[in-house]
Amino acid sequence: MKIEFTLNGEPCSVEAPAHINLLHLLRDYVGLTGTKEGCGVGECGACSVLLDGKLVNSCLVLAPQAGGRDVVTIEGVRGADGGPNDLQKNFIDHGAVQCGYCIPGMVLAGEALLAKKLNPSRADIREAIAGNLCRCTGYQQIVDAIEATAAARRDTRQPQSIEDAKVHEEVL
Amino acid sequence: MIMEKFSYVRGQSIPHAVALLNEPGVRARVLAGGTDLVLLMKEERDVCDRVVDITLIPELHQIRRAGDRVVIGAGANFCEIVESPLVNETAPALADACHSVGATQIRNMGTLGGNVANAAACADSLPALVCFDAVAHALTPDGALEWPVSDLVIRPNQTKLPAGALLTALSYQIPGEGSRSVFLKLGRRNAMAISRLTVAALGRLDDAGRVAEVRIVPGSATPQIRRFPKAEAVLLGQIPTLELLREAARVAVAEMTEITGKRWSSEFKEPALESMVLRALAQLFDAQGAA
Ligand code: FES
Ligand code: FES
Repeated sequence: MKIEFTLNGEPCSVEAPAHINLLHLLRDYVGLTGTKEGCGVGECGACSVLLDGKLVNSCLVLAPQAGGRDVVTIEGVRGADGGPNDLQKNFIDHGAVQCGYCIPGMVLAGEALLAKKLNPSRADIREAIAGNLCRCTGYQQIVDAIEATAAARRDTRQPQSIEDAKVHEEVL
Repeated sequence: MIMEKFSYVRGQSIPHAVALLNEPGVRARVLAGGTDLVLLMKEERDVCDRVVDITLIPELHQIRRAGDRVVIGAGANFCEIVESPLVNETAPALADACHSVGATQIRNMGTLGGNVANAAACADSLPALVCFDAVAHALTPDGALEWPVSDLVIRPNQTKLPAGALLTALSYQIPGEGSRSVFLKLGRRNAMAISRLTVAALGRLDDAGRVAEVRIVPGSATPQIRRFPKAEAVLLGQIPTLELLREAARVAVAEMTEITGKRWSSEFKEPALESMVLRALAQLFDAQGAA
């Protein structure tokens, strides 16, 4: 069937079978491989994307469920110059990235939190990434990176570039 | 040429979804949150002919007050329930139970109706719904049906919901003034724990400080999720002293064992349930030193 949706702000139309999941659609039919498959059963968060601005496990979303909706993957999160945005830079600066496999999901979980709350406690941050497993970092540096980004965004009150208009509005 | 295992259709409204589910000769299945169905599809080749996606039917997401009841659309996801002021105000234990489901990603997708219809042994919302004496509402081609949630869910993974029926809402009567409710969960890891033991409880004292109302519902303790009337009877009409709460907790354990018999897990579950019931009752009735 034809599945048409908005992907990172651009229209996307792809022919794919109805029974595959959104993760498979993104990686193997659209060719965006930033979204990772860890467990494939909704337990690790490596496949996290934003669906209409909400954080979901793309391995649990049926591909046609994305039809007509707005999907943001890690490829849609970037700075104005096309490089890493402030959150991604903070991940790097705080040593929050080791093997990197969990990071696309972690960054999207971070963005989903910051879109709702620019003043999160560390407990809020831990809860926001509770569905994202990292086997390398021990999480502290990831929490630090999200916390630092929240503080900086509070100071500037400027939304950072993320292609998703909905996230934009909420940050504003 | 792509081989389709099934067709995907979106329900536009509740009646439209029911019609799609009941077309003769078409084996149709509801896609509510997707969290369980999408996994099932990975495992099984031939699940159905048609998937009816109900996640975008606005009416199924509504959470509203109707007289002295609160009506939650069966398609409301756990995040929507956790964030609902109406649910937090009238049924805090239900909001807590929904909050304890999975992590953000799962709460954004999983729905209350899906939890009830699948009746997973570990469905956290079930004991809370039973604690609020919730009623499940469904629509079939022949009209509307309803059951108390405690009757609808027979045992894990089995309900009385007839084929072709669509669960439309869960409703509960708003508890009386001064009621408190709690939800406790014992799980391995907070965020994703498929819960092993939970307790939902509700209580209210009268002006004389006696127990005017109490409901105790353990989850994952018995096959059919139900109130524990014997344990409740220990407390009704009494001043809730710590000693009495301990007695009620012991009776709750005896009630569980009476229903399930001794099992391999009893050695773990009995003391765990006893302390959880005690803690829940202590929180309801402000008993000191119990938790
Ligand atoms: S791959 Fe989706 S949650 Fe692990
Ligand atoms: S950095 Fe390796 S899994 Fe998180």
